[in-house]
Amino acid sequence: MHSTTTQVSTNQSFHSSRFLRPPLICLALCMVFSSRSQMSAQTSSDFDSIVANASAAREQGNLPQANELYQQAEQLNPSWPDGWWYIGTLQYGTNDFAPAIIALDHYITLTPKAGPAYALRGLCEFELGQYSPSLQDLQTAVALGAATQPRNAAIIVYHEGLDLARLGRFEEALGQYTQMIKHGSANPDLITAIGLAGLRMPISPKDIDPSQMELVSSVGLAASECMAGHTASASRDFQSLFAHFSSTPNLHYLYGYLLFSADPQEGIVQFSDELAVSPTSAVTHAMLAWAYGLQGNFAASLPNAQKAAVEDPSLPMAQLVLGRALVETGDVTAGLPHLEAVLSSDPQNLEAHLALVKAYSKLGRNQEARQERLQCLAISGQGASANASM
Amino acid sequence: MRPCKLALILLFYCFSVSAQRKAAPVTCASCHRSQALTQPDTQMGRALQLPGDNPELTTHPKLTYTIGSYTYTVETQHGQSQYIVSDGTRSISLPILWSMGAQAQTWVIQNDGRMYESLVSYYPTLNGLFTTVGDEHMGPKTLEEAIGRPLTQEDVTTCFGCHSTNAVQDHKLNLATLKPGLTCEHCHTGSMEHLNSAMHGTKRVDPPSLSDLSTDDISSFCGGCHRSWELVVRAGWKGTSNVRFQPYRLANSKCYNGNDPRISCIACHDPHQKVETSVAYYDSKCLACHTTPRQANAKVCPVSKINCTTCHMPKTPFPGGHFIFTDHQIRIVKPGEPYPD
Repeated sequence: MHSTTTQVSTNQSFHSSRFLRPPLICLALCMVFSSRSQMSAQTSSDFDSIVANASAAREQGNLPQANELYQQAEQLNPSWPDGWWYIGTLQYGTNDFAPAIIALDHYITLTPKAGPAYALRGLCEFELGQYSPSLQDLQTAVALGAATQPRNAAIIVYHEGLDLARLGRFEEALGQYTQMIKHGSANPDLITAIGLAGLRMPISPKDIDPSQMELVSSVGLAASECMAGHTASASRDFQSLFAHFSSTPNLHYLYGYLLFSADPQEGIVQFSDELAVSPTSAVTHAMLAWAYGLQGNFAASLPNAQKAAVEDPSLPMAQLVLGRALVETGDVTAGLPHLEAVLSSDPQNLEAHLALVKAYSKLGRNQEARQERLQCLAISGQGASANASM
Repeated sequence: MRPCKLALILLFYCFSVSAQRKAAPVTCASCHRSQALTQPDTQMGRALQLPGDNPELTTHPKLTYTIGSYTYTVETQHGQSQYIVSDGTRSISLPILWSMGAQAQTWVIQNDGRMYESLVSYYPTLNGLFTTVGDEHMGPKTLEEAIGRPLTQEDVTTCFGCHSTNAVQDHKLNLATLKPGLTCEHCHTGSMEHLNSAMHGTKRVDPPSLSDLSTDDISSFCGGCHRSWELVVRAGWKGTSNVRFQPYRLANSKCYNGNDPRISCIACHDPHQKVETSVAYYDSKCLACHTTPRQANAKVCPVSKINCTTCHMPKTPFPGGHFIFTDHQIRIVKPGEPYPD
């Protein structure tokens, strides 16, 4: 069993990266072990014979024949989950991602709690450029416990990050990569991915223009130092980047974003520097507005929030900071639609609900303020760690 | 002669009084006497103590405690205290420059230019030292680590920003201007300009009035140090440790109304006075709403009209803090009910 599964993995051209190969082995092994008991329940002699031949072909490395035989077995008994899993993994191994997804769809229908199957389907979807469903599947895989082992976690979290970056959700991608850096998973693939997210480039690592490779890697390295908490070397690296790539957008924003939680004031300095390079950057205006807001300086927050919303009205963060700044500076009625717009796309957005507490309270709508408070407590409780350090 | 002499005497008297008045320093107390007399002796007024002004350490000249293989000693002589950490072979001795807290005390100490939160604190309920709350997980592996938790720039400005006055300017620590504890200008921004205008008779400049703030805004204002409702929710701090964050607990109360001054922090607590510990004192605050004839959304207690807080604001131990807090989440407490959070 072990050697067979290893063969499946090592034949995958996608996994040319040393970073990705080992976790898939764990993933596949996990699934095979979990499905053995169901396999032994089959009684049809034809079926048993086909399955035996399929296993033999797979063990001999005859993957096309193994695939064909498993397909035959599934025609006889489509409710046999293991066959779908083998088909899915075999097709994934030969880069036949679309049929692999179909096989895994069957498997997941029969075994809806199978976290590793969601993970594998998510990886297939990623290869086909289906980033939203891929992200959803990878997140489901994590929720179902597929990322409890460090090696599995690395592959899943890394691809979640890539999906998020392709979807333009760069800050969330950086959050995923920060997890990996803190767990000591730094490697060239991850550094490149961090560089892409940091530069807000919604492309895959394989699509990087060679002329930009040095920039991407340097940014990835500097950001990874910051993520690891190596503040002195991060500062040195970023200063070097600012000197060499002085007109490159997003560098100051990235540094400010990474610094912000530990040193909000330095974050503000970096966001302001970014605006000198990219005066129309909506995210930078939004983060500056956010930073001022956290300091209680909503008079400074408001103009930045307004600029962010003008530059990119579809940016939820811009709507959020504008809504909050309007509420706090007295124009509560004008602020409400912006907050409601955030909630229409993200009903569980804690910050929007927090702002609504303030808004309703200022308007004297006390019952609604109370309801919003309860909603905030419910959302906060979902991700809460009891007695966290305070 | 007599009237002339009398006039001279009167003139001399007036001149001398006037001279005395000119010589006397004009302070906040010159006009706001009652507040200025009592506030320095409050817990907020004594939130940070400097060497030579630390009764707890003066009355406990030698305190010791052991964590793992490290022994901690706090020795006080002639108003100066040393924080000594030893691993049995080597020891590090550092002066205690800043004592944070009017009751339990944690010390901020410096080693090689970096500030640390002491790994042990003084707890009055224990009459001695114990691990600083929140630092139980540290498990130091070297003598240097055993000093305490290294403070980030953000930590430093937060500690000194809440425990002292004028120590943080432009979000940076400035020890040269530090005033220990909370003085008038900590809360009343612009009070120095107000004082100057009063002294020099220039156009009067008044600090923004805190009494005009809404209950919500007062809660956020006090929550700047006592932790606001929003901050605790955002951080997701759950469990009984959050009992010490009174603005958060109060705003969770069903009776909390961000526009009703009767539930504001300052409806019950005068920050210029020591905290009132008499349970009966607070009855009138509760009865401002929960009284007959019944007011909207305020039930009248069928059990008692006195000592309200003993039932509705139960005392709750703060884990690791060796202290019991009054839970400000006002409610009907049911037997066996878990801590609502």
